[in-house]
Amino acid sequence: MTFSGSRKRAQRDLDLDEEIRAHFDMAVRDRMARGESRAAAEAAARREFGNVGHVKEVTRDMWGGVWLERLRQDLSFAWRSLRRSPTFTIVAVLTLALGIGVNTAMFAVLNGVLLRPLPFPDPDRLLAASYKPEGMEYGVTPRMFDDHYVLFEKDTSIFEHVATYGARSLTLTGAGDPLSVSAARVTRQFFSVLGAHPQLGRAFEENDASGDDGTAVILSDALWHARFNANPSVIGTTVTLEGVSRTVVGVMPASFDYPAGTDMWQPWRVVANPKENVGLVPVIGRLKPGVSIEQARQMFAAFAPNLPVVEGPPRTGLVPELIPLKTVVIGDVRTPLLIFSGAIVFVLLIACANVANLLLMRVASRDREMALRAALGAGRRRLVRQLLTETLALTTVGAVAGVGVSWATLRMLLSLAPQNLLPRADGIRIDPWTLAFTGGLTILTAIVCGLIPALHASEHHLHASLGAGARTVTGGRQRLRSLLVGGEISLALVLLTGAGLLVRSFERMRSVDLGFDPRNALEVTVDLPQSRYATSAEMREFDARVVANLGAIPGVEAAGAINFLPLSKTSIAGSFTIEDGRKLPPGYIVGALSVSPDYFRAMGMHIERGRAFTADDRTNGARVVILSHSVAEKFWPGGKAIGKRISSSDNPTAADWVTIVGVVNDVVQGAVTSNPGRSAYSPIAQTDPPFFLRHVTFVVRSRDESARTALTPIEVAAARVLREADPNLAVQTATPIPELIDRTTATPRFQSRMLLTFSLTALALAMIGVYGVLSYNFAQRQQEIGVRIALGATPGEIARMVLRRTMVLVIPGIVVGLGASFALTRVLGRFLFQIKATDPVTFASVVVVLAVVALAAAALPARRASRVDPTILTRAAG
Amino acid sequence: MSRIELLQGTLDFIILQTLRWGPCHGYGIAQQIRASSNDTLQVDTGSLYPALHRLERKKWISADWEVSENRQRVRAYTITAAGRKQLAVERSKWELLSKAIAGVMQPPTTQAES
Repeated sequence: MTFSGSRKRAQRDLDLDEEIRAHFDMAVRDRMARGESRAAAEAAARREFGNVGHVKEVTRDMWGGVWLERLRQDLSFAWRSLRRSPTFTIVAVLTLALGIGVNTAMFAVLNGVLLRPLPFPDPDRLLAASYKPEGMEYGVTPRMFDDHYVLFEKDTSIFEHVATYGARSLTLTGAGDPLSVSAARVTRQFFSVLGAHPQLGRAFEENDASGDDGTAVILSDALWHARFNANPSVIGTTVTLEGVSRTVVGVMPASFDYPAGTDMWQPWRVVANPKENVGLVPVIGRLKPGVSIEQARQMFAAFAPNLPVVEGPPRTGLVPELIPLKTVVIGDVRTPLLIFSGAIVFVLLIACANVANLLLMRVASRDREMALRAALGAGRRRLVRQLLTETLALTTVGAVAGVGVSWATLRMLLSLAPQNLLPRADGIRIDPWTLAFTGGLTILTAIVCGLIPALHASEHHLHASLGAGARTVTGGRQRLRSLLVGGEISLALVLLTGAGLLVRSFERMRSVDLGFDPRNALEVTVDLPQSRYATSAEMREFDARVVANLGAIPGVEAAGAINFLPLSKTSIAGSFTIEDGRKLPPGYIVGALSVSPDYFRAMGMHIERGRAFTADDRTNGARVVILSHSVAEKFWPGGKAIGKRISSSDNPTAADWVTIVGVVNDVVQGAVTSNPGRSAYSPIAQTDPPFFLRHVTFVVRSRDESARTALTPIEVAAARVLREADPNLAVQTATPIPELIDRTTATPRFQSRMLLTFSLTALALAMIGVYGVLSYNFAQRQQEIGVRIALGATPGEIARMVLRRTMVLVIPGIVVGLGASFALTRVLGRFLFQIKATDPVTFASVVVVLAVVALAAAALPARRASRVDPTILTRAAG
Repeated sequence: MSRIELLQGTLDFIILQTLRWGPCHGYGIAQQIRASSNDTLQVDTGSLYPALHRLERKKWISADWEVSENRQRVRAYTITAAGRKQLAVERSKWELLSKAIAGVMQPPTTQAES
């Protein structure tokens, strides 16, 4: 309100005062003229006039623009009132800041990851298309067979353009140190589908792609900056990828990042080979103008039966699916994000219940003030509005602090979250949308926290508590407060149960017997490019040389090599043939791994029977294999596998047979949560297909049994060995294997820690609630307790009374919370490992924890109660 | 003495009607209404002043400070042209309504007597 506006209003107020005074004076004069005494006339006029404050109030209502004035009044009143009780204000503001802050942070995440549209033009017209064989799983990204794609690419009835892509890791040389880059092969229309254009140079053209690979590449903005100094003259220059020269034809803008994390794009033309097409490709398309998604679905489904069936896995029952591209990009984080959002809303609800409780408590002590204001002419609605304004002021201050909390929370969240956990994480920020959300949440919170206390407060003024004693027993209010605290306990219990389940599941994961000893071991992984290592012999020679040099590092106990290390994402599996003619069960496949002689020792695995590989298992020597325990026991129970022969070929010739020379213990080959793997190990020296040798991981075990720090010099030495062996390799740094395990279990660890943090916050807030209600309760019952003590109650009896009261408060909350947990923790089922969502141990421990903490929260009020001085009675009587 | 609480619209109408005879202050208006209704209509100050200020805001009446015979500054209200127009509308509505109600309350045969 402007200054002149408020001055005008002040003048109007004065005018109204004078108008009413004139009315009053005239009434008195008239009465005196009729013969009444001045005193009697004044009394009668006053009675007749009624409540002056009220008359002024309702008259001012007619002036218009009054709500603004009211708001100003209410706010200044709220400000004074909050300043009068700083403890209440601080506790309430902090509670609200916490509740609103974490919710704002969560919204920023939801908005950035789930809600924000894709950064492409008309993102709603972008779909991912798949013909999924019935019963097959393809993880997150839907795909179709590449020969189907080739047919589909020609069809123009549904989509304007379709495209496919595939990302792989390649080594870039000739631009600084060798660098492992993520290179996406994309088909001709890829950029048109997404509506993206290079910021420099051009997109791919028809003759850029010849078959599998073309010579042109397009750089990402990040790579252009990091390795080419953002120099525009990079267009037309050549770079070396996997030892092959490529010409840079374009640079994409920084905003374009699809598939996520791509450093460069290469042209690709999918060529279907009718003999052996088993490749699956992701397919994206932009709908033709005028085609609705529903029409597209029907046409897409109608297309399916015309698709040819070639050799390869059975393709009966293709399920046609068109999925919004955004859904594919978001992937499987949607459910966990929504679960976490739910958990965070719980935290806010608990915070609200606490603030409502504080407000109720405050209202109780303000009965007289309310009665007074009512007597002075404030209507009930005005009182409710006043109290709500006060709450709104409180939540607004809380929200401002909450934005700070959310900023800190987001920073913590993003730094703790495992890499690549969240897609589109770059979009997570506190933007205007988030602030608008916070604004809305603030108002909602004010209403949720403030309405019940406000209604309660204004209700009571009618029973004028202005009377002297005014120690009204407000039983309803007490019940309401107990109800609120009960609710808090229920919510906290649900969160604790969820967190407990995740923590226990994570512990199970970490206590899985991996079958190898990760301590004091580290790994270095490299990819050997075909351009430099054309033959298997060259790669075998490289592996042997590196293993020997690694083994020579001082302090190294053993060094070995394997093509696919346990816990790595990729592996190769296949079936085998048994010499005695027995058939493998359908679908029985084993990991096909190639290792150096000392690999088992370097990994801390143990040979159960037979022997490990030795340097004598040469390329031209007798072919040998070592089976893992479960494979050997399955076909030759009782340890009779040694000496038997198998073959990886379906129709082995005499030269294809290999002899089992050893049995090694099972190891977990895939993720920690997968079953211990069935594996067959061959010596690298006897592995021939180059494909099996392109990827190699070296494992080094330190002799020093002490801490992980002892590895550091070996880490440095190991990396140096690799660099010296081939300076053109993009060597990833040496990683201690325990760290590798941490990395593979990072997501569940992060999830369980986050939920644990939320639930402990919730627990703390709920206990503040318990404490508040009990202290208030006992403070009110001081007299009664005094009487009891005066009548001879022992401290023990008083303590029992307190205990009873606490349990009455807590037990209903626990019972309801258990029911709710039982119903709600099922959503976690998919994320739990070796633990049921209804795990009784977790439920029981959570109840015990909650009960103990509640008793702790009750301890202080209880102590105070048992120390009530009976003389309080005399004081109260006086 | 039975007193009748006035509905808001009715009070507006009566105030306009009262002001037809000339400017008057709030107290005077209340007294006039009371007198002209033989004490049946008692106007509560909590209704009167909001009504006056509301009518002023609608520009059906205007207010000026005058000095009364007792040398007291009083806020006197005057009906405006718009107010007169409104009064005419209200009155025809009122006549229609009172005739209708009278018709409902009294049997047609005795209508002549009233």
